[in-house]
Amino acid sequence: MIDRRTLIQSMVGGSMLMPGLLSQLLASETDLADPLSPKEPHFPAKAKRVIFIFSNGGVSHMDAFDYKPELFKADGKKTGVGGGLSNQQRVLLKPLWDFKPGGQCGTLVSDLFPHLRDCMDDICLIRSMKSDDNEHYQATMAIHTGSFFFSRPSIGSWVSYGLGTVNSNLPSFIVLAQHLPYAGTQVYANDFLPAYHQGVRVVPGAEPIPNLDRRTGSTSVQQLELDFASQFNAHHLAERESDQDLAARIRTFETAFKMQTEAKEAFDFSDETQETLDMYGVKAGKAEGFGWKCLMARRLAQRGVRFIELIDGSSSHNWDQHGNMAEHADHAKAIDQPIAALLKDLKRTGMLDDTLVVWTTEFGRTPGVDGEKGRGHHSACFSSWMAGAGVKPGITYGSTDELGATVAENQVHVHDFHATILHLLGIDHTRLTYRHGGRDYRLTDVHGNIVHDILV
Amino acid sequence: MNGGDSFQLKTALRFLSFSVATIILCLVSKSAKAESTATFIRGVNLNGPVVEVDSRTWQAGDSGDIRSNGSRFENETVILKPAAKASLQKILHSSCWGSKFDVELLNLQEESYRVFLYVWEDNQSESFQILLNDQVVVQKYESGPAGQWNRLGPWMTTSNNGTIKISARGGAANFSGVEIWSAAGTLPEFHSVDAFNTSPSVDQIAFFESKIRPVLIERCYECHSVESSDVGGALLLDSRTGVIKGGESGAIIVPRAPESSRLIAAIAYADKELQMPPDEPLADYQINDFRQWIMQGAADPRDDDTVAKLQAKQQVDLEKARDFWSLRALQLTEPPNVIDSNWAFNAIDHFVLHQLEAANLAPAKAATRESWIRRATYDLTGLPPTLEQIDTFLADSKTDDVAFATVVDRLLSSEAYGERWGRHWMDVVRYSDTAGDNSDFPIPQMVRYRDWVIDAFNRDLPYDEFVRQQLAGDLMPTDSVDESQNRLIATGYLAGARRFGSRVDDYPQHLTIEDTIDNLGRAFLGSTINCARCHDHKFDPITADDYYALYGIFQSTRYPWPGIELEQKQRDLVPLAAKEIVEQEEAKRRQEQVVFDREVERLEALKKNAANDKKEAVTEELKKAREAANRNAARPTSYQQAYAVIDATQIQDAALQLKGDPAKISHTVPRRFLSVLGGQTIAPDDSTSGRLSLANWIVDPNNPLTARVMVNRIWLHHFGRGLVARPNDFGRQGSPPTHPALLDWLATRFIQSGWSIKSMHRDIMLSQTYRMASDRSPASLLSDPTNALLSSFPRQRLDAESIRDTLLMISGNLDLSRGGPHPFPPSTEWNFTQHNPFKAIYETNHRSVYLMTQRIQRHPYLAIFDGADPAVSTAMRGVSTTPLQALYFMNDPFVHTQAAGFADRVLQSSDDQTTQLENAFRISLGRRPNSAEVDRSIDLLQAVKASLVEQGVDANEARKQAWQSLARSMFRLNEFVYLD
Repeated sequence: MIDRRTLIQSMVGGSMLMPGLLSQLLASETDLADPLSPKEPHFPAKAKRVIFIFSNGGVSHMDAFDYKPELFKADGKKTGVGGGLSNQQRVLLKPLWDFKPGGQCGTLVSDLFPHLRDCMDDICLIRSMKSDDNEHYQATMAIHTGSFFFSRPSIGSWVSYGLGTVNSNLPSFIVLAQHLPYAGTQVYANDFLPAYHQGVRVVPGAEPIPNLDRRTGSTSVQQLELDFASQFNAHHLAERESDQDLAARIRTFETAFKMQTEAKEAFDFSDETQETLDMYGVKAGKAEGFGWKCLMARRLAQRGVRFIELIDGSSSHNWDQHGNMAEHADHAKAIDQPIAALLKDLKRTGMLDDTLVVWTTEFGRTPGVDGEKGRGHHSACFSSWMAGAGVKPGITYGSTDELGATVAENQVHVHDFHATILHLLGIDHTRLTYRHGGRDYRLTDVHGNIVHDILV
Repeated sequence: MNGGDSFQLKTALRFLSFSVATIILCLVSKSAKAESTATFIRGVNLNGPVVEVDSRTWQAGDSGDIRSNGSRFENETVILKPAAKASLQKILHSSCWGSKFDVELLNLQEESYRVFLYVWEDNQSESFQILLNDQVVVQKYESGPAGQWNRLGPWMTTSNNGTIKISARGGAANFSGVEIWSAAGTLPEFHSVDAFNTSPSVDQIAFFESKIRPVLIERCYECHSVESSDVGGALLLDSRTGVIKGGESGAIIVPRAPESSRLIAAIAYADKELQMPPDEPLADYQINDFRQWIMQGAADPRDDDTVAKLQAKQQVDLEKARDFWSLRALQLTEPPNVIDSNWAFNAIDHFVLHQLEAANLAPAKAATRESWIRRATYDLTGLPPTLEQIDTFLADSKTDDVAFATVVDRLLSSEAYGERWGRHWMDVVRYSDTAGDNSDFPIPQMVRYRDWVIDAFNRDLPYDEFVRQQLAGDLMPTDSVDESQNRLIATGYLAGARRFGSRVDDYPQHLTIEDTIDNLGRAFLGSTINCARCHDHKFDPITADDYYALYGIFQSTRYPWPGIELEQKQRDLVPLAAKEIVEQEEAKRRQEQVVFDREVERLEALKKNAANDKKEAVTEELKKAREAANRNAARPTSYQQAYAVIDATQIQDAALQLKGDPAKISHTVPRRFLSVLGGQTIAPDDSTSGRLSLANWIVDPNNPLTARVMVNRIWLHHFGRGLVARPNDFGRQGSPPTHPALLDWLATRFIQSGWSIKSMHRDIMLSQTYRMASDRSPASLLSDPTNALLSSFPRQRLDAESIRDTLLMISGNLDLSRGGPHPFPPSTEWNFTQHNPFKAIYETNHRSVYLMTQRIQRHPYLAIFDGADPAVSTAMRGVSTTPLQALYFMNDPFVHTQAAGFADRVLQSSDDQTTQLENAFRISLGRRPNSAEVDRSIDLLQAVKASLVEQGVDANEARKQAWQSLARSMFRLNEFVYLD
């Protein structure tokens, strides 16, 4: 396959018209018409990439990360906010799991997450998260896009738009999702941002990225085809050499060709040790389970992918335990060890220094009962956490009232959460704007305060 | 119903803006024409002491004439909305309440009365039913946010054994007072607040002059006088009229009730959201002066009417705003003279060349006929020209203008034209086959609107009529049944507005209306009107009043219900059948439904009384019965229906929502057009929603925007970009036209041609400007790098639909017939939720305009190739270039299938390899290959064949596969997806 440099040089020979322009093309080889080429952040920052873990359905804060002794005293008489969409008075429901201190910092975490509890020295736990809507769909949209009702670009797309990517052979924003969460593809959509900022959904299995598998009988035939196209395209370009779009499109075929192998390599775990696979709980040769996603996330992070999102659960099978809180145990078990493994793995490879790991859900659950033994939707408060680059490790931030019904201090609204993530990446959330339909849009709309207290 | 009374009630409803689903009123007949005055029979302060109201004495709640089984409740800290005078406060702040209770007024004479009921809300909105003597008078009353109160009635009733009984059923109701009047006679006017003091004493004037006026001047006028550059909250404090009128949130003073006056709340810093003056509070003694002033009725001797002055000033501002390029009247200028008059063919060329000459640029040479026919064919049909079409055109010996015009006319009369240009319009109106609610319910009937759009383009429906029918087709009856139905279907444009959420009772209709206004603003007027939903537009002369003036029109419109999570059945669609047929069927359906409903009722009763061991079985049976009942109700109608709008039963102006929050209601805004475009109001005798008027205002030839916006869209799709770069934003945030005189000339010609879109195509496509080659000159690259001046034709990439349609067409697989309906699952099986939303991809070999597109789930192919956004208006497609697109061309099975089809076709076209190659080039690229290209292609064929044979593939098969390789290679060429 002809490389682009040779191609451009061969064009210089035949070109009388604009040798200056062509040498310009050669000089700026790296960023030639590549909208995803790395961009300088607004200010220096430690975090170079994000691994964003989203647990869908509404994880109960008072059963997992937010110890509420008062709730343990629930006697079947005392009431508090409860019911499906949490605007009724219901009998308080006792949490089902004991809390114990984790790590040196002693942050209390319940028995739902014993492995993560061991990682608390690396984690900054936020107990005062706040959203504005008690429906899954809207809250899921909001935690991804900052918008509750209208489609807007996902945070991953914004980060891709703001920082580009260092590995042009892989997409800048990858979403590991066996199934779609609430609000479907909108959670990783580029919306009005250019399409190259779209999250590329990876579905664990035979062909994780659409059309990644060579469909031609042999590499050599594909190579012949691509060479043919390259030559024709080069001639075509030579007569239209001022058109950067044409040059950019030629380049995408080179990238795509390399992706067939490079992305494949990323998806092939055969170079991982058994110890690593065990740590994540991955079975050799099986692309399944949350461990696969976590290990995949590390591999993509190593390869320079800017924003990696892991989706835990789907719109129909998730943490939404209206009838029976006990089911939280299965969901926690599926992700606890893998996420802890990811944190440990990143730490031992030094990558935690420049990788930001975020875990969140769309909202919490009610202190009062819903159904027989479940909890309802509760956007008034919930817990999320961050770890890694630029985040104070081993601390907790914010708190809820004695029942976990409202934020008591240091509220972190979804917009504040987003502003802080962008800040950790060196992006000023008020300056990362895109002009669309007559106005400048931001991830944080007109809101967002950076939570400075959790920054190193 | 008594006209006067019903009007009074309606006004009250509007003012308070609560929603009453159904009000069944006992009829108040006008028994006496005589203008006698009504007699006050009795007032009762249900949970409070004796009160004097307007010199009438009300009984205390514990007097012997009253009996109630409700609970007692009071809370004096809640601020009443609207404000109420002190005497009413004493009544309203305390109440009898409960979810099922009666209040009985005893010892009345046995006769007819008119009854008013005072209700209020102390915390969260509740909904309940109100009965008077066991007759429902309000089916579903929504009590509104905390503090909201209402005086409901008058309802006519007759006492029963000397008793009038008022009852509440359902949610928690707060009844505060009852007022009983004689059945006959004129009721006195009701004032919820005391009047302002208009005849102040000398002392009171002196008080104002010494204590109030100086503070107002010093601390308030900066933001609240007619001289302020931006009047805060639309509140003027520099005149009596301003003080009395209040601001955008309503009155600021309740005379003689300082603690209910928002002015006091603001200056006392009692309300976190409203603290005035913002920099530093007034001194306590000053605040007390204001309290005293209000206690005396806010006497104010200033008689300068600054409210009127401000209005006049705003009128001047509006005039100034109209001096913006897009809001000025169309300027008809003669095409300018040019130096190279031989080059120019028509008026368009004069405008373009004039600007080129002024910039010392020469137009590019003319494109070859091969390039031109490829360009023109894609342009008008989204498909490549066939070999025969190319041959005919190349062989046409007539002069260029005749030969070119023949092609344009042929293309314009093809079905494919409407499919291409209809799709452009579908982009603008964010067409989708699903509703966009949390479960993304399918709308099987939406395709009728799609087909209507395609047909409208094909029959060159004049654009003004095109607009009218989409906004108000239902209000434009004709004698022709077909035409009436067609016009109904056209309103699918409005019906297709986005749906939100999953709830029914508190469905966020304000968002659907916003989506409607947003889209019609952008689509027809190139205006971002929806920016004014929360506040006056920051850049354009559009006010929040303008927004709510339009809002009223769509609030008075009935949108169809697509089904959403909590009510999964379609309703309120419009039948495309005769009334009798519809009524007959509905009656029959009701009859059939009864059987199912009875079964459900039977099992419900059974379950209630079932023994514990039987309960589970009955529950299961009940569940099945309910499902069966729902399935039966969701059966499709035997007649066709349109997903269309009609007027709502209640036609009413909307109240302004502060900060776009439907819970924060301000004044009512009469339905009208945007002030800056004339502010026309709906004729007094027009009892409709006003949509037809709106449509007529939009297409009024004097409206400076409509024609400009549409000709710009037409220009955009010929040249790849508009004369105005942002086709959906002709406001200050957009960019001005590159060729203002040309834009106006085109717009004027558009109107004069009878709004004919096809005429516009002819004008544009037969111009020399459109005929230019796409080669850039070094001079233009230097002085006009973006080619804004059009010294050559802008090269364009094919859009997603054209790429897919081309692949299908040249492989011989394209089905050119109409796409028809989508194979959605039957409506009886719709149980979509946000947990399991509707999600489907339907493969088809029809043109891509017929692909089923969803709001929430993007179609994977369209998402990769910058397809339109089905959730918001797409003015122009993005042109991104990504490796995923390259992977698609390299590995997608669809591409491989079409390559195989293409290879077969080419192989069968001739026995001669050179001819085959020539055909391959002509079919895919629209031109013949040169000899080097033929050689290179043969090289590829041989190399692939050799490679395959080496791998053990049979020679014949290898030859076939080699051709497929060549086909795939050609599909990847820039030349294949770009138009010169």
